Amino acid sequence: MHKKRSGVLAAALLVTMTSGLIAQNKAVQSKKETSTMPKVGDMAPDFTLKHFDGNDLKDVKLSDYRGKKNVVLAFYIFAFTGG
Amino acid sequence: MKNFQANLKALEAADTQVLGVSMDSAFANKAFADQIGVTFPLLSDWGGKVTHEYGIYKDEYQAPRRVNFLIGKDGKIMEEQVDRDAIDPKKIVDACARPTLKN
Repeated sequence: MHKKRSGVLAAALLVTMTSGLIAQNKAVQSKKETSTMPKVGDMAPDFTLKHFDGNDLKDVKLSDYRGKKNVVLAFYIFAFTGG
Repeated sequence: MKNFQANLKALEAADTQVLGVSMDSAFANKAFADQIGVTFPLLSDWGGKVTHEYGIYKDEYQAPRRVNFLIGKDGKIMEEQVDRDAIDPKKIVDACARPTLKN
């Protein structure tokens, strides 16, 4: 009887934890969906991204070009599709 | 990307650095650049953090939309091209020819 009860408790706990995780996951997803494309005149969000030049993996930081160069940021869907 | 490569001299003459970005790995992007003859960096947004921050992640592709941003030296966005309009970068190349961008 005791064993059965603790089993039920454990199951209940598991359900609570899992639903908590799912809720958290949903919150993260909806947060992502709310970010909108910056408009002309807005500051471009800064970033640091990896570039492999054939020898080394280097960091490229947008703000490093500030005051020096204009930057064209060209997002494309997938490598090896179109050009 | 080839369209930017074709206009690279004009863009560089206007003090403009071209950076391609996708959610592919840095190594796949290097191979892609070599295959299509692109000499400017193709950056890896592995995991899509920057793609999400720029609000251009498309669920249908599980990847970014095709979007070009022209960012001035002050860090502000000067021109944008989205989806089909982003295939031909003429608007951005023309904007680079404006004297204000050369300062």
